[in-house]
Amino acid sequence: MGGDRIKKDKRQKREDYRAAMRKEDISELPRKKFYRQRAHANPFSDHQLIYPPHPDQMDWSSLYPHYVVDEPQDQQTPAALPETAPSDHDLAPLQPKRISKDVEVADIGCGFGGLLIALAPTMPDTLILGLEIRVSVTHFVEDRIKALRAQNQDARLYRNVGVLRANTMKFLPNFFRKAQLSKVFVCFPDPHFKARKHKQRIVSATLNSEYAYVLRPGGIVYTITDVPDLHEWMVQHFEAHPSFERVPEQEQEADPCVGIMRTETEEGKKVERHKGQKHVALFRRLEDPAW
Amino acid sequence: MVLPYHLVKVCGNAVFAARGSDIHSFTSTLEYVSTWKYPAQQREESNGPSAEAQDSPAPEGPPAKRRRVEPGQGPASNGHRADSANGQPKSKKAALYDVPANERPFVQGLYATTDGRHLVAITGSDKTIWVFEHDGAGNLKQLSQRAMPKRPCSLALTPDNRTILSADKFGDVYSLPLLPSTTTAATALSSAPTPSGSEPPLAEPKSRSETPSTPTTTAAFKPQADELTVHTKRNLKALENQKISLGRRALQEQLNRPQFELTLLLGHVSMLTAICVGTTTTTTTEGNGGGEGRKVREYIITADRDEHIRVSRGIPQAHVIEGFCLGHEDFVSRLCVAPGGKDKILISGGGDDYLFVWDWVRGQLLGKAGVLEHVKGVVGQEAASKVAVTRVFACRWEAGTGVFVVVERIPALFRYELLSDNTLHHRETIPLPGNPLDVEAIETSSAATPRLLVALYPSEATEDNSTSSSLMALDKEEAGWRQSKVENLPAGGSDINIGETELQKILYSTESLRKLSDFD
Repeated sequence: MGGDRIKKDKRQKREDYRAAMRKEDISELPRKKFYRQRAHANPFSDHQLIYPPHPDQMDWSSLYPHYVVDEPQDQQTPAALPETAPSDHDLAPLQPKRISKDVEVADIGCGFGGLLIALAPTMPDTLILGLEIRVSVTHFVEDRIKALRAQNQDARLYRNVGVLRANTMKFLPNFFRKAQLSKVFVCFPDPHFKARKHKQRIVSATLNSEYAYVLRPGGIVYTITDVPDLHEWMVQHFEAHPSFERVPEQEQEADPCVGIMRTETEEGKKVERHKGQKHVALFRRLEDPAW
Repeated sequence: MVLPYHLVKVCGNAVFAARGSDIHSFTSTLEYVSTWKYPAQQREESNGPSAEAQDSPAPEGPPAKRRRVEPGQGPASNGHRADSANGQPKSKKAALYDVPANERPFVQGLYATTDGRHLVAITGSDKTIWVFEHDGAGNLKQLSQRAMPKRPCSLALTPDNRTILSADKFGDVYSLPLLPSTTTAATALSSAPTPSGSEPPLAEPKSRSETPSTPTTTAAFKPQADELTVHTKRNLKALENQKISLGRRALQEQLNRPQFELTLLLGHVSMLTAICVGTTTTTTTEGNGGGEGRKVREYIITADRDEHIRVSRGIPQAHVIEGFCLGHEDFVSRLCVAPGGKDKILISGGGDDYLFVWDWVRGQLLGKAGVLEHVKGVVGQEAASKVAVTRVFACRWEAGTGVFVVVERIPALFRYELLSDNTLHHRETIPLPGNPLDVEAIETSSAATPRLLVALYPSEATEDNSTSSSLMALDKEEAGWRQSKVENLPAGGSDINIGETELQKILYSTESLRKLSDFD
């Protein structure tokens, strides 16, 4: 009974804290302890996800408000409508507000957003999106971005990062068009040790085809993990996939994103504390063969 | 309980119809020819081609999770069906039908090669794909039986009639040869690059040979964690235990592998509901030989429960996703590539209120056609708020293309017409004395329209009309539709101990694909 009450108090505190973070226009960074959530989510279950039926219907304006294109209301329609003549049924649902750029970098399973925050200032003209399946964690990153934007208003920093709750294993093509992305990060994914859970791994022969679909030729998948066998698994699966080749080590180490990925991800810091190993591998999206 | 026919398929000059787990054949004029019965007992010894791919012998205990219908030693009581196909006398059926309804191996799909020489069937709970040779007159000879790793939901055959594409409940698409080669071991590797090169000399047929995109992980199982990644005492102990049980696991793995050629082509992280093959023909002026040539490209189109329709290249480049047809807001359950020169048009249906018409080559939505509004016309405004499309079937119709649509639990067939501008229009609603389960067209050279064959679940109101009313032929005549029941159906199918609700669960399974909205 007592335990129950304590639990309730804790939950109450959490809710109060988070409500306060949302409501007031404060620029204080959120504290992780109010956003913790179990580290695993079942990617096969339906959840209660919000996703657009088609990438064209994705409303990016709330994630990147500083990039919204101001257009006169009536001028918008002819350009935004698809070429085909719509029949009597609504073929083109209301077009969302447009933003001036497309998202080009995605961090799949961004967790608490360490990588996003570190990347944002290094590529200020590129839109970066974090995708995370856990609700609370996504809220943390949202609040974190909000606070950072407020803190760095004059420097106009962090306007190019956003975060979304999404199950990328199912819905990646709902958010991104073919060849839209130039970089995809997969940092410290859930290892799913058991053999029968391997289908839940974020890297698999069949999912790699979807990464290839959203990446443009020449685009890079960045992977890092502290689990040697998972590293091997990811290397094997990407190397065996005809759409990818591994980036040679020299080039890999010259990539500034690799350093950031090693040191700035939350998981990377934790591994550092535990003195674990970090295995990095990069893969380049190749041109599709003739067909 | 009398089982209705629930699947019909035209194959060459014959018509096949499935009832429960049996397949009956008819001539094109719907005279009964013969029956293939689901074998009463799975035998373990190979015996001619019919046992081409049998279960792994499973020496100790059931091979966990492999097959839900194990030939348990049921009470060999009743002697019905003494003439089971491979001469196995009785006994098994009784045991089979004592398992819960959704585990009975009903025939879940019937597919025919374009040349009409082979019929392919899926049975449900035992995850098995059956291939039959068809002699042209309705007689079937079972060629192979292959139990898939996961339950197949839909099959497609490549245009050359040599490869089966199987889309399963786990989201994967496998290809398997229609006719398993006799030298499986030698050919199974196909062109897959083997990254590790650690391929053992193949003592057994190379099982589950994987796509070019999957590395062949032949190394023995190793624990994925090590002392550095495991931080708690308890997990360390677990790791130790894991290492101890290695041998057992390896053995289990061995047992669980299918013993036939199987290639993973592509996969969704979602239950697949439909698969079909699309082709495009382009005229090329360049090319190797110079001059004009026609290049035919094949594509694999897959649909899943999470509203996606994916277009991938055909074999051997199935790992390349060409595009998606996105726009459905509920599950997709049926795909249909339009026939007759309209092969760039795809019609899809599912849990949405509309049928969607796509240019699948460009991934573009061309239009929608309402379904719910016409369903309301059958059952009333209030009685219907959502639909689950279970069949979308297109065929030649007069001078154009007819599209017939079946909606779950709705006692009518809906006829649409696909016009030359690729718009789809509802033309008529054909009321039926029961809920249709499947529809096929039987081509006749004389009439302007093909004859339709409908499998239906007679509604109780017509119970007095004998039990044989579950197959019905529809002929379009000037005065309207002439509905004629197929007479002289073979007996049987009434001795099965299955309740009405259980049966409905099996026959009406599409609506259950819908997601619950109040669930997280």
